[in-house]
Amino acid sequence: MLGRLLQVVASRWFRLVLVTLLVLSLQTTLFSEIRPFGYSVQLIAIYVAVAGAVHDARVGAIVGLVSGLMYDAVLATPLGISGLVLGAVGAGAALLLQPFRDPTWWLRILAVSVAASLGEVLLPLVKAVVGLGGWLTARVAVVALVTFVGGLVFCTPLIPVTRWTLRERVSIGRR
Amino acid sequence: MAQGKTNLTRAVLLLALASVFLITLDLGDSNSTSRVRRLFDTVFAPVENVSRVVTRPLSDAWNSFRTYDDVVAENNRLKEQVALQEGAAVAAAASVRLSQELLALNGLPTLAGINSVTAQVIGETPSNFSQTVEINQGSNSGIKVGMPVLNAAGLIGKVTEVFADRALVMLLSDPDYALSVKVVTKSSRTPVTLPPLPTEDAPTVDSVLDSSQTSTTSSTTTTTTTILGFTPSATTIPAEIVSGGGSNITVPIASQLSVRETGILEGRGPGSQPIVRFLDATTRAEAIEVGAPIVSAGGSRSLAPPDIVIGVVSRVVERLGTAGPVLEVELVANLSNLSFLRVLLYQPITETGR
Repeated sequence: MLGRLLQVVASRWFRLVLVTLLVLSLQTTLFSEIRPFGYSVQLIAIYVAVAGAVHDARVGAIVGLVSGLMYDAVLATPLGISGLVLGAVGAGAALLLQPFRDPTWWLRILAVSVAASLGEVLLPLVKAVVGLGGWLTARVAVVALVTFVGGLVFCTPLIPVTRWTLRERVSIGRR
Repeated sequence: MAQGKTNLTRAVLLLALASVFLITLDLGDSNSTSRVRRLFDTVFAPVENVSRVVTRPLSDAWNSFRTYDDVVAENNRLKEQVALQEGAAVAAAASVRLSQELLALNGLPTLAGINSVTAQVIGETPSNFSQTVEINQGSNSGIKVGMPVLNAAGLIGKVTEVFADRALVMLLSDPDYALSVKVVTKSSRTPVTLPPLPTEDAPTVDSVLDSSQTSTTSSTTTTTTTILGFTPSATTIPAEIVSGGGSNITVPIASQLSVRETGILEGRGPGSQPIVRFLDATTRAEAIEVGAPIVSAGGSRSLAPPDIVIGVVSRVVERLGTAGPVLEVELVANLSNLSFLRVLLYQPITETGR
């Protein structure tokens, strides 16, 4: 029993939840205060995109879905919306790099920034689909641009963080 | 390896389906999603508090760097404004008190009868697609979902999520926010001035006052004050009451009092002014003046009690056909710079049980 508990605590998925809590706390404190041009840099989206770019589409999607559900629990938005969007961001970042056998560092940063900024376009779209319209305005383009630049800046420090978090080679459900 | 990938795919599918399921539950105002949020908050709040303390120097440095000049300029302007308004505020407070007494006397609802909780804004929304602020009071202080939130200027929004010691307030500018309001417009016609009644028809003072028991003395009371911007007027009591003298009386007829158009106020996101729509189709745009005050309409199903100041009409957009005009609203509260707020402990019927 104790051994199994230790195994769970030592798994990368448990570490993922803890690290995501820390990233989320930075998002809700520091990055909600620091607003370049009045827009918040979405560190959580960049973190998810980095996870997808460093690993594969499946891992990126899981990191996105878990982080998104946690983000929704903090926000006043319906639970699950950010989960779906960030899941797509994580998988999207990996899929953008799929055509390249050995992507260079700058290509990885570019893919992360593009995926994170596309996520910021996707979020108001999904909100509109579930009936929470009113956000699909021209400012979405500026929000995406700010997140793109944020991706260029914060991708590099987040790569070792996600590598360490998801280092373990144990899959979900494997005994 | 192949087994691991299959498991991961299953996990992705499971999480995606769970997300869709949760969206459906949450949009249906399910209590279970509120419980999930509260549970998550108990885990997340300590982490967030530590993070806030650790990152405060950085955010303070950023704010100092960005807004120092603006803050100095604003401080000077506000000092001047405070000096000017100090006197006016005293007079206004007296008027408000009188109005509240009159409303209470007539059994009408007033804000004075509603308890409130003062709260401080501790955080802004981390998302670019929601207009919320976080306050440092929650269910422990009696705050519930749906309660209206004000600052010193007027209404700023409503409570949307409540945790033990904090709550989220959706601002008026959020596109998901809607509130029934009334626009107080002026009557275009001037009140009728009635001529004095003929002496023989006018009621004598004796029927009102017993002159033998009433001593009337002429006196003029002048109040002096050191309050800037406040000029007290002299109150003069007439030397004697002229029996049947009669004077011109200005009588506002009911149909000529201020007209109150009702509509729905809707937020349009940051940077855009909220609008009022669904005004009565028969309302002509010319009947509504720019600068007309907008207050909450109240009513049993309204999100806020009546007569909370919201803003003034900044633009009237007339629409063709039977659609009534759309009004753009300049809010009296500055939503980008909120500090201390007042949560009215008034839960609308539509939000009870949440």
